[in-house]
Amino acid sequence: MKEVLKVSHLYIRLKRALDQPIVNNASFSLQKGSALAIVGESGSGKTLTCKAVMRLLNARQFNISGSIRYNGMDLLEMSEKKIRALCGSKIAMVVQNPMTAFNPTVKIGAQMAETLRVHQKLRKKAAYELGIHALERMNLPRCEQLMNSYPYVLSGGMLQRITIALALIHEPDFIIADEATTALDVKNQQMVLEEFEKMKRRGIGLLLVTHDFGVAAKLADDMLVMRRGKIIERGTVYDLFSAPQQTYTKELLDASMLRKEKCM
Amino acid sequence: MVVFFKRCRALIITLFGVTALSFLMANISIVDPAEAYARNIFLHPTEEQIVQIRNEMGLDQPLYEQYIQWLGSSLRGDLGISLQTKNTVVSDIGQKLPITMQLVSLALLWVVVLTIPVSLVAALRQNSWFDHLVRVATILGASLPNFWLGFLVLLFFAVTFPIVEVVDGNLVSLVFPSLVLATPLASISIRLLRATLLSNLNKDYVTYAKARGLRNGRIVWGHVMRNSLPPLVMLFCQYIGHMLAGSAIVESIFSMQGIGTHLVDAIMARDLPTVNGCVLIIAMIFVFGRTLADIINKRLNPRMINRDEVLYD
Repeated sequence: MKEVLKVSHLYIRLKRALDQPIVNNASFSLQKGSALAIVGESGSGKTLTCKAVMRLLNARQFNISGSIRYNGMDLLEMSEKKIRALCGSKIAMVVQNPMTAFNPTVKIGAQMAETLRVHQKLRKKAAYELGIHALERMNLPRCEQLMNSYPYVLSGGMLQRITIALALIHEPDFIIADEATTALDVKNQQMVLEEFEKMKRRGIGLLLVTHDFGVAAKLADDMLVMRRGKIIERGTVYDLFSAPQQTYTKELLDASMLRKEKCM
Repeated sequence: MVVFFKRCRALIITLFGVTALSFLMANISIVDPAEAYARNIFLHPTEEQIVQIRNEMGLDQPLYEQYIQWLGSSLRGDLGISLQTKNTVVSDIGQKLPITMQLVSLALLWVVVLTIPVSLVAALRQNSWFDHLVRVATILGASLPNFWLGFLVLLFFAVTFPIVEVVDGNLVSLVFPSLVLATPLASISIRLLRATLLSNLNKDYVTYAKARGLRNGRIVWGHVMRNSLPPLVMLFCQYIGHMLAGSAIVESIFSMQGIGTHLVDAIMARDLPTVNGCVLIIAMIFVFGRTLADIINKRLNPRMINRDEVLYD
């Protein structure tokens, strides 16, 4: 299997508190067409890890060391120009809250076209047509009208489908999905999970961040448990669910089971 | 179209209110305008002379009748005759307003030229030495009184280092007065825009734009700046009227014959037609500024137009 992402000895520190790393020696790798779930409570450093991969952390605030390798290149060493060119094309993201992901004062079509045009030489009209095709592939209705709408008139489920369409447009090698189902209702969650399933089959690697064990169980092949910036347990989903080694993992599992029971 | 009519109605009501108030205030004042005017012409006016003047000026009529009369003629474009200069108020204003307009336009230009780059750099380099410097400078700029700053500039550039003709009639001479006039607004604008830029820079859409592969320049100019402008536009346009009315101090320091000093002179001389005329014009410009701000903001932020658009799913 081909490795699409290899994170080794990643440390993230706040510049004003260098002695306390928020992400402490994290190492993991992601294979082509597989899914890796990072679970843990809020504040455990899982989102920061993902943001570090796409270099979304403010360099004036954070100190990052270690290496994040993609296709033999170190993403941390790369120039800003190069990393931006990779983001949105080969490395894509599906957001946590689709309602706030788009600029509310610019139409969806313009934001899609602008994304397409930073990655390939296209005329405006061609970019719009490509955008419409991408939306159609996501089974969205009235796509031309959608392109002409402002984000605030659309529902969260629709917007999430649009971000997925955007993520898939350039055939990425892997996708980072940070709590991509958390802000959605059950029906839309199901839809997003199905899309992720399809992505895996197409050979796209998935890096899932979640605190929902149900999502992890459904999609992931491997799993990492993070706590206070450290990876405290790792293994296949099957192993972790059937025989968790750490008490923390057990607690997390129990907590999510309890919630499931209550819901029933 | 409905919005347009609503706007117009609001405009008319505002103008009504402002002119009625200025009429009322002039009459509450303890100084009798007829007497004051009579003292201007005659050294020791007799009682009869004062009464005669009062009748001529129509000041013996009840206030509301004076107001209605004035309103009627001003709708026809006749604002009466100035007691001081004996010219029509309209022609006086026509002469003075362009001078002030030049001053105010140049001041507004300074505000734009200063605000956008300075607040952008301050926001992007938050807590840098530049940001701290800007903070101190803007607090000073917003709190320094105009007259003090004006005198200081005058002293410095006209007396101590007379490099340019500070008091003259050409455009160069407008540089210092307009800078002095622009200082408070520029300071407030920089603080306002810096704050809105910062709050926008921390929004989710900026992170996602980066994740989509957009570069910083494009994000700042194409998204963040656009979303940060509305409060500034509102402040800016409201200040147009404010500056016109407040130009008196700067004008008198730099010996300019603009509408500000004209208005203050008229108030001192109890020249009621001029006072009312000037107030009307300034109020009109003020109201125009606010309308302009509304129009621009609706273009910048479509949510202000269709609040209740259908959510479809």
